[in-house]
Amino acid sequence: MSTETPDDEPLYANRSDWKDIEPLEQYEDINPLAPIFYTEEYKDATSYFRAIVKSGEKSPRVLDLTESIIRQNPAHYSAWQYRYETLLALLPSTDVASSPILEAEVRLMDELAVLFLKTYQVWHHRRLLVSLTRQPKRELDFIKKGLEADAKNYHTWSYRQWLLGSFAGRGASVTDGVEDVDEDLWIGELDFVDSMLAQDVRNNSAWHHRFFVVWGCGVRDGDEDRERVLKRELIYAKQNISLAPSNPSAWNYIRGILSQTHTPFSVVADFALPYAHSRGAYHTKEIVDLENPPPTETAQLPCVQAMEFMADVWENEGGEEKTEQAVKMWTSLANEHDTIRKKYWEHRIRVAHLALRGQKKVA
Amino acid sequence: MTDISSQLPRLSRAAHAAHCKRCLSGLPASQTDVDASRLALGFYCIGSLDLLGLLESQVPSGEREDWRAWLWKQQARGKYGSGFRPSPLMTAQRLSHEESMEYTDYDTPHIIMTYTALLSLGILRDDFSKLDRPGLLKFLRSCQRADGSFSTVPGSNESDLRTLYCAFAISNMLNDWSGVDIPSAISFVATCRTHEGGYGQSTHCEAQGGTTYIAVASLSLASTWTGQAEYLTNTERDTTIRWLVQNHDKSGGFCGRTGKNADACYCFWCGAALKILGAGDLVDADALASFLARCQFKYGGIAKAPGESSDPYHTYLSLAALSMYPPRPEVAGAQAPSWRFEPLDPLLNAREDTALWVRIHVPEKAV
Repeated sequence: MSTETPDDEPLYANRSDWKDIEPLEQYEDINPLAPIFYTEEYKDATSYFRAIVKSGEKSPRVLDLTESIIRQNPAHYSAWQYRYETLLALLPSTDVASSPILEAEVRLMDELAVLFLKTYQVWHHRRLLVSLTRQPKRELDFIKKGLEADAKNYHTWSYRQWLLGSFAGRGASVTDGVEDVDEDLWIGELDFVDSMLAQDVRNNSAWHHRFFVVWGCGVRDGDEDRERVLKRELIYAKQNISLAPSNPSAWNYIRGILSQTHTPFSVVADFALPYAHSRGAYHTKEIVDLENPPPTETAQLPCVQAMEFMADVWENEGGEEKTEQAVKMWTSLANEHDTIRKKYWEHRIRVAHLALRGQKKVA
Repeated sequence: MTDISSQLPRLSRAAHAAHCKRCLSGLPASQTDVDASRLALGFYCIGSLDLLGLLESQVPSGEREDWRAWLWKQQARGKYGSGFRPSPLMTAQRLSHEESMEYTDYDTPHIIMTYTALLSLGILRDDFSKLDRPGLLKFLRSCQRADGSFSTVPGSNESDLRTLYCAFAISNMLNDWSGVDIPSAISFVATCRTHEGGYGQSTHCEAQGGTTYIAVASLSLASTWTGQAEYLTNTERDTTIRWLVQNHDKSGGFCGRTGKNADACYCFWCGAALKILGAGDLVDADALASFLARCQFKYGGIAKAPGESSDPYHTYLSLAALSMYPPRPEVAGAQAPSWRFEPLDPLLNAREDTALWVRIHVPEKAV
């Protein structure tokens, strides 16, 4: 955490251009809870900030003051709030988006976002700014760079989803009564997901983003034929699984799109089955089936997620024989392949047996 | 259950209590970023002492008295209603004597701080005679947005599921839900549900353990008021349970998102969500304790992962997880007494007797 200011920066108390302000020190009781032993620089800047807020001044020097506080404490939400209001007061009434003040602010935020990647306020301020600049495309490029530093950062991904949802989603921002939807923003998204997954096929944030783009926020141009899209997405996930079978993100993606489209899990059974058994226990077809890529020679089998998937398929089919197949799978997961979830697999066995008894009674 | 939990070391209760007491007495300048959430940090410290059962024996009553007084000083009144501020970070010295003065737009109460203040005061067994209840209801109304979500402070664009939970928890404590529009809030929760079965922090966001707890607890809190038994379908419930259980990591801990490393705080978030969903028996409590044992920091406190340094947040949530999922005595062996806890109320995230105190004393008394 950066709490220092550069040594050559004098305190506000010693600056002639701040002489007209009488600083207001923070009030603390004699016995405060968890007091912070502030640095002189922080005490100095926040004392001047309290005075500025009281006077209501909104001038360029306030931007300097709030920047100093934010650099020392990026979670100081009052400093952010006042900074934003000061910015609004300083912006011209026309051509806001091309104002030099706003451009400088965006550049500063590019720097601070990298410094304080995990601070909520940095991202909220950014959302306010892009609502003024109305340049979401630039932001998508910025995020791409940001994710190079931290490929799973939650704030960064959330910001990307917010941008697309706000500028290019259903019910996107309305300007002068006209819905202002920028469908072009979506164009690069699937390639972007591809590039993220190429770096790390287990990046769940990227898989989530793919679901959001394809299924979660309207229908993309060219994607109107949903059956074709489902087929495309299943092949995409299967191919990725064939490269790295024990990847819960990819399996969750398959489960997610099957549920979303009300498609029974059994349509993926032919693919999943060879992954659910030890090598040699199951003979894969000789003919290369592009829709159902088999495990590679080096794949670690059986794959826990495939075992779970097949058990779900069999449980859904019902009947004594299928249920027992599922139970066998769960037993193997509980006792050998996924022991941390032993209690869960035993729970699944109990539920399936109860359901089977119910089926028998009805029959 | 698993080999890793066969020999549990001691849970260093005294050292963890000492860590929290140190933080309450003062924080170094390197923690200046806590300035805008000091009250929450205070809650994690006081809460840890409460869970450890060491609050009364280790903290003199005069000091507890001072803490209560400080907490009440953070209650502020104004045009958006009443609630608690994170700290006096925006309160000026020279204005301090004007107790009745209303807050400015830059010194308003904060909804997360308000939730943690009420719990902290409950732990300290305050009678809540100073609580401005009508003002608090007004404050909740000021924070709810058109989409059903709640902002951290009135008028801010910072809003996500965390604040919604705080609004629901406060309504539950007050036993008065007139400060929130429940149906619109519940619709917002639904937009945060993901294809994995967990909930993201906001609409369209990735499933995350903390916000999944928030969603599940919020729906359950609403049920206690509306009487609507279940806001989730059976399939939705099963999918959420599956996702939560999937986050139970081989290390014994829980991870917060699919494919990430285990982190002590998710032992609480995921564990409490499972408990609320009636699936607490699916957690491997012995393995969980063994993971948290390894997260203990040698100078006291519990860290997010083995080898990291501790902080009050991870300390509190680890102890809260253990309060729900203590290891079996035979696994803890000779160290069993150090792993014993009083039961926890997973909905409010407090010891059961503290939650009971809060639910008796926070509501408006019948005249």
